[in-house]
Amino acid sequence: MIPVFVAGLIAHFRAGRTLFVLTVLSVALGVASVLSIQILNANALGAFEGGLDAVSGEADLTVLGKIPLMPSRVVPEALEVSGVEAAWPLLRVVAKLEGREGVYLDIVGIDLVAPLRVPWDASPADLGAALGRPGWAAVTPALAREMGWRVGSAFEVSSGSRRARLTVGALVDFRRLTPLSSPRLVVMDIAQAQDALAIPEGIHQVDLTLARGAQRDDVARTLSRRLGASVRVVTPEQRRRQAASLLSAFRLNLTALSLISLFVGGFLVHASTQAALVRRRREFGLLRSLGMTPRQVLWIILGEVAILGLLGTALGLPIGWWAAKANVKAVSATLTNLYLLEGVETLRLPAWIFVLAAAAGLGGALAGALLPALDMSRKDTRALLAGLAIHERMGRASGVLFSAGWAILGAAALAFLAVGREVRSAGFWIAVALIVALPLMTPWVLKRLCGWIRPRGFDLAYGVKTLGVKLGTTSFAVAAVGVAVTMLVGITLMVGSFRKTLEVWIGSTIRTDVYVTSESWRRARETATLDDDLVAVLVRLPGVRAADRLRQTSAWTGSRRISLIGRDAGLPGGEGRFPLVSGGRADAIRRMVEEGAVLIGEPLARKERLRRGDRLRLATPRGEAEFPIAGVYYDYSDENGSAVMDLAAMEKAFGRGRMTNVDLYLDPGTDPHATMDAIRARFRGVPLEILDQRGLREEILAIFDQTFAVTRLLQGMALLIAACGITLTLLVLARERVAELALYRALGAGRLQIFRVFLGEGVGMALLGLVLGAPGGAALAMILIFVINRAYFGWTISPSVPVWALAAQASAMLAAAAIASVYPAVRASRTPASELSRDDL
Amino acid sequence: MDGAALEFRNVTKRYERDGDAVLDALRGVSFTVPAGRKVAITGRSGSGKSTLLHLAAGIDTPTAGEVLVAGRDLARMGEAERTRVRRDGIGLVFQFFHLLPHLSVRDNVLLPAWIAGDRSRDAARRAEDLLGRVDLASRASDAVGKLSGGEMQRVALCRALLRRPRLLLADEPTGNLDDDNSRAVMELLRRLADEEGSTLIYVTHSRELAATADETWRIGSGVLEVP
Repeated sequence: MIPVFVAGLIAHFRAGRTLFVLTVLSVALGVASVLSIQILNANALGAFEGGLDAVSGEADLTVLGKIPLMPSRVVPEALEVSGVEAAWPLLRVVAKLEGREGVYLDIVGIDLVAPLRVPWDASPADLGAALGRPGWAAVTPALAREMGWRVGSAFEVSSGSRRARLTVGALVDFRRLTPLSSPRLVVMDIAQAQDALAIPEGIHQVDLTLARGAQRDDVARTLSRRLGASVRVVTPEQRRRQAASLLSAFRLNLTALSLISLFVGGFLVHASTQAALVRRRREFGLLRSLGMTPRQVLWIILGEVAILGLLGTALGLPIGWWAAKANVKAVSATLTNLYLLEGVETLRLPAWIFVLAAAAGLGGALAGALLPALDMSRKDTRALLAGLAIHERMGRASGVLFSAGWAILGAAALAFLAVGREVRSAGFWIAVALIVALPLMTPWVLKRLCGWIRPRGFDLAYGVKTLGVKLGTTSFAVAAVGVAVTMLVGITLMVGSFRKTLEVWIGSTIRTDVYVTSESWRRARETATLDDDLVAVLVRLPGVRAADRLRQTSAWTGSRRISLIGRDAGLPGGEGRFPLVSGGRADAIRRMVEEGAVLIGEPLARKERLRRGDRLRLATPRGEAEFPIAGVYYDYSDENGSAVMDLAAMEKAFGRGRMTNVDLYLDPGTDPHATMDAIRARFRGVPLEILDQRGLREEILAIFDQTFAVTRLLQGMALLIAACGITLTLLVLARERVAELALYRALGAGRLQIFRVFLGEGVGMALLGLVLGAPGGAALAMILIFVINRAYFGWTISPSVPVWALAAQASAMLAAAAIASVYPAVRASRTPASELSRDDL
Repeated sequence: MDGAALEFRNVTKRYERDGDAVLDALRGVSFTVPAGRKVAITGRSGSGKSTLLHLAAGIDTPTAGEVLVAGRDLARMGEAERTRVRRDGIGLVFQFFHLLPHLSVRDNVLLPAWIAGDRSRDAARRAEDLLGRVDLASRASDAVGKLSGGEMQRVALCRALLRRPRLLLADEPTGNLDDDNSRAVMELLRRLADEEGSTLIYVTHSRELAATADETWRIGSGVLEVP
């Protein structure tokens, strides 16, 4: 059997090299789509974990604050707990590197004499000198290389409104311990870091090692009891799980969308396998008549497809790697914007990616080929030797398939109505039903639409009409394009709607004339505070009618870290700052001021199932406290959730704290730019970011665009696979329809005319794919907006139609289809009239 | 109707593979068919009948010799020009009809006009007229799949005649029909060729049908016997 297999494979390859290559490419693109996202996901998670492991890798337990800063006494208190062998404090501050746009350093303040495993590139003797040298900092070799620093080089960082001058005192290569750790880690003595960056008294983290024989869970429980509700004690595994869970929605959504490309790739394998088998039916008929069993036929077909899948996998790996590399900046921006995490600096290829690639490529190809392979292997010898009217069969089955598509959609809708609210992943299952139903409905729609076309010439319309003839071949390409369009339109509608919603939200909530924050706030948030004196000057500037001071920090409710914002709730005329989902603003603001109530953001309300009238439990320095919820507001600032309270109530519950942002409302007639210039002049050299209303709105939208840039990778892949599908199908058609093309030539059709008709067929496939994919995409967008988004992110998005973006994508699809049709059209146009055989039409 | 509609001058067609001669399909064939004549060509399978028709239609080119259609040598023409000559001056009828299943009867007849870029009402009227002449006017909107074999060949005749070709070439036009239909189609073919003033050359296995032509030529092993 092996010689038959090898000979068949070689003959098959020789008979249709281009087809073979395209099929491999389809698999490769599907694999690449999944891999690129998985590589990015893995490295995003790795970067996050790497940041944790680099400095806390040897800790058995970690104590983290549920309040912005823990008191330093946590260290001695922890050491008193039985089983704790050593404990050392850490301070973590994100600071902006001055003189470099968008470069942030993760400064870790440690006790230099603590028993930490730090991979110094300096002798311990040198470290002793660090304590006596203000601004001493150890940087990674990668950062030193990037910036051109050496030991002794000085650099400036800013944290909030303060600048600090640091000196490279040593090199510390955390990648020796954790390969994915950020190269932007900077180590300082904890006391020096506090001084240099003016961090209030306190620490962010305490790492612990346990005595031999100590039971970790027991020690953790004791520590939690001892240290109180304002801290949490976590194991390294819990920390990793929390990291993974923080990024889970982001990763899941990207993975799900990338799988659509793999699905389309598998589809094209199905189409090409079917085309190849139709061509080879007599060969298999002959083999069966010579005694080959159906099982052997099946293995021969699947064996060939497996080789094809492996080749696709081998090609998909470098493409996926390249796509991941090309999009690492986009993902980094998303991580930074959405999760305030250090971006992905370097990409690694974990070993399991190869297994995933093989599973995706091989599995996708085999799954795509299974049905035609089974069909071929089960046919009796006589049927194989006779003509196989696959197109007629598809035509007859189109009605049944169409009904099956509706049945799947109906069943999914019913299941969603029954249990959709309880099952978080329900939206994905409806999306899967949609993606599966669409191809099933394609043959019927194609047959009907092409049947309605009345050509009046040998032109584009004629080409489109012929698509309805070879349904067995064209249905797959049109379905592949339809699924790709569904994804393109779905994502575009969702992102466009989200952007429009955000624009409306910005328009209604951002009324400030001048916005002031620190340059480092965008990444550092709670540690990027403004000096009190500076804020006091700002609010008293000439022309300032009112100032809304914001104190943004993080807080914990249960096991959820949320963003907590203190504002002057009762600011006259400031009601518009809180667009409420329900309820009256005036009453809500009154309760915030009088009762210390909070407003919670919509994502938090959805995720914690909280409503107006409930109480929000927050960890405070004095333990857990409950705050009445006065309302729920539309919030697009933090996926994890946020809450707003009056500044006075915040101070009462969390103690005094510095502001992070100030919104200035100016007297009528006061020029914002003159005020901005006055602030710059007054605070020359202070690292402030000062924006007018328009600038602030533009910055928010720019961040939004950056955040969703990664979806372009998926859309690009989908477009490429669809184009591949069109080329592949047209090549199959050019082969299947040799006699028909020869007839046209015999009747006097010139090469250019055949070329045009084929080009018309390619563009027609894209058009029909658009016709099918547009409603599919609209449905997918609704699922993304109303089901998946609400379940995973909790945002309210008002649907809107980004007409120009959709028109641009439709044009791109048609242009891609036209380009993809050129080669097959040239091949078809070369069909000589002498190919007119006797029985093929 | 003056001059020759088709002339072969010492035409040889040799099929080769890798530079080696495999088959001489035609060997030094020469003949002249005056305009308006009806010629039947008979011969066994593989004798070169179809090759001769392909060369006459400009579908293929001779290895040596000249093929003149209305005095113009197809062998000296490029492919595009041969295609134009075929489109504008030659009608083809095939044994297996070669009708397109995705087009209606009327559209199948109109296909040569579409290919020629002619979307005029005249073309549509001509198609209706031809279908009327073969008694298929009432079936014009039907799918070709609903027609009998004889009806299909009548549609194919209309298609071949739509562009008023001066030369009508038919390759076993009745080879796929029963005797009654064969006679009827052949009668129709001759009548329409007469009415249209077309020269008709057809290949047939049937002596009976060959006998209805003005002349009957035999071909064997690539050599044409012209009486």
